[in-house]
Amino acid sequence: MKFVATAGDRAQTVEISGGRGQYRVTIGEQVWEVDARRTSPGIYSLLVGGVSYVADVTEQEDVAIVEVAGEIYAVKVEEATRHVIRTRGGVAAAPGPRTLVAPLPGRITHVAVTPGDRVRAGDTLLVIEAMKMENEFKAAAAGTISEVRVQAGQPVNAGDVLLVIA
Amino acid sequence: MKIAKVLVANRGEIAVRIIRACREAGIGAVAIFSEADRDALHVQMADEAYPIGPPPAVESYLAAEKIVGVAKAAGADAVHPGYGFLAENAAFAEACAEAGLTFIGPPPAAIRAMGDKTAARRIARELGVPLVPGTLEPVTGDEAARAAARKIGYPVMIKAALGGGGKGMRLVRREEDLAGALRLARGEAQSAFGDASIYLERALVEPRHIEVQVLADGQGRVIHLGERECSIQRRHQKLVEESPSPLADAALRERLGEAACRIAQAAAYVNAGTVEFLVDAERNFYFLEMNTRLQVEHPVTELVTGIDLVHEQLRIAGGEPLGYGQPDVRGRGVAIECRINAEDPFAGWLPSPGTIRGLRVPSGPWVRVDSGVYEGYPVPRFYDTLLAKLIVWGADRAAAIDRMARALAEYRVVGVRTTIPLLERIMAHPDFRAGRLSTGFLDRVMPDLGAGQGRHASIALIAAVLAQYERLGRGTLAAPPPSAWRQAARPGWRGRPE
Repeated sequence: MKFVATAGDRAQTVEISGGRGQYRVTIGEQVWEVDARRTSPGIYSLLVGGVSYVADVTEQEDVAIVEVAGEIYAVKVEEATRHVIRTRGGVAAAPGPRTLVAPLPGRITHVAVTPGDRVRAGDTLLVIEAMKMENEFKAAAAGTISEVRVQAGQPVNAGDVLLVIA
Repeated sequence: MKIAKVLVANRGEIAVRIIRACREAGIGAVAIFSEADRDALHVQMADEAYPIGPPPAVESYLAAEKIVGVAKAAGADAVHPGYGFLAENAAFAEACAEAGLTFIGPPPAAIRAMGDKTAARRIARELGVPLVPGTLEPVTGDEAARAAARKIGYPVMIKAALGGGGKGMRLVRREEDLAGALRLARGEAQSAFGDASIYLERALVEPRHIEVQVLADGQGRVIHLGERECSIQRRHQKLVEESPSPLADAALRERLGEAACRIAQAAAYVNAGTVEFLVDAERNFYFLEMNTRLQVEHPVTELVTGIDLVHEQLRIAGGEPLGYGQPDVRGRGVAIECRINAEDPFAGWLPSPGTIRGLRVPSGPWVRVDSGVYEGYPVPRFYDTLLAKLIVWGADRAAAIDRMARALAEYRVVGVRTTIPLLERIMAHPDFRAGRLSTGFLDRVMPDLGAGQGRHASIALIAAVLAQYERLGRGTLAAPPPSAWRQAARPGWRGRPE
């Protein structure tokens, strides 16, 4: 079965066959024999060419966040046929309004912008306090604030949309 | 007066640590918990546990009156504050005393004398202990600060008079930055300590943070248990600590220890405390401050001296004299501690609350884990990020570092990000291995430590695709049946009566 796995801006074809814990995985030219077990939900013990890895896979919206030996990867996995349909349709290329999403649960301690403000890359947007630490969130690119959905003092959950930049 | 039942006014790993000491000493342990902490390990390990209010610490772990009330109602005769929260709050120590409870820590007057950093500096100066050049009185007004900074010489460090934990601290390199930094430091000091007083010190270049553990009994005997080097810090928060310091020779150790004991004596100190110094490359040392409590990094001293500091605290608070003197204290080998925090050092140190879905804790020879978490534990977002401490001992420093590297590689925490990957890289760094340390270490080497990301990209792709393949019903990655061991390994020592 063929998939397209995208990490960062790099999309690669990954072919997988086998079952019952024994798999053959082909990424580009390279072939891997993989012995895999799921030891608890989202946790995989992999033996790849005899080398032992533990990978933690968390599904977030349409990407899998994978941690291996302390390294974090965001990987989007699609069946190869679907990937072709989507990219031909040009959906991925359309730039739309960007949202700032809370990456962690916490409490908003400061909102530095109001709707209509022009911001430049690196400008502080807001501050979230969590685990006794204040975390500043900055604009990734220039734009105009079109919506602010939170106010100081408000608790937020991971995944909440905090503001929108047009 | 033997203590029979202790209320532990804290949470997390330190509450577990204190409960363990109580149990070994045959003392009952009472836990308290906020609404966010019903699932916490300390609640399960204590003999009794009582709710004290909503998650924010000001309404629970800092609510002195409520805690004293719970201690009285539970029939406790003493209170151990741990570190943080109310540990260095003289008013809380007094409230305990007024309620007839023994406060396991120094007398309120000693907390006050050392808690006000400018007062502590005056005591040190009167004793002839060297100080980082700076002001001995809080500085009021920007003009006075400017004049003082000129006299001290730039770079200067602004510090909160009631400071700690890096709050209200600002490094100023040039006079034009002074006014802005003063405003920020005063604001932080006001919100963190309820007092905007600040003072100025000269900022030393690449100093080392070395501190001395002291023990003082109620009969006037003060001894020290050697030093700890805590130079691996990030924003004045320690990350790796070790004992002895790789810089200290016998002569420096004796001078530091003697200075620390004199300061403790002058403050009429009783119980366990720590005197902190900055040390420069020429082994000149300067008094920084005294912490009037048990510290996070106390286990490294325990492993090299064989002295259980919490047992000593309980004995001293119970009125017993120290059973040994300075010549009886001997260090052996090297101990290192790494702090396992729920933070992602490679993503701007973003805190990482969430559920711990998988946990493998290292063990093996000379490895100790002081932890407040277990598999399935939801790490709340209301408290600090320390999940656990990993402490190892080795016959020499190289052996201790190798053992720490081994133990860190065993440590797996799944579900929340931790400092473990960074700590592994610190252990492998040539400057760390060579003992080339300073409080600027992490800032200096952080770019090297981030390198190496991306080594496991193929494995990550394989895992993500396998997960998808399984979800589509194509592969069967059956989980093993739950083992009896796993069931039995739930936290807590004893089965609860049905």
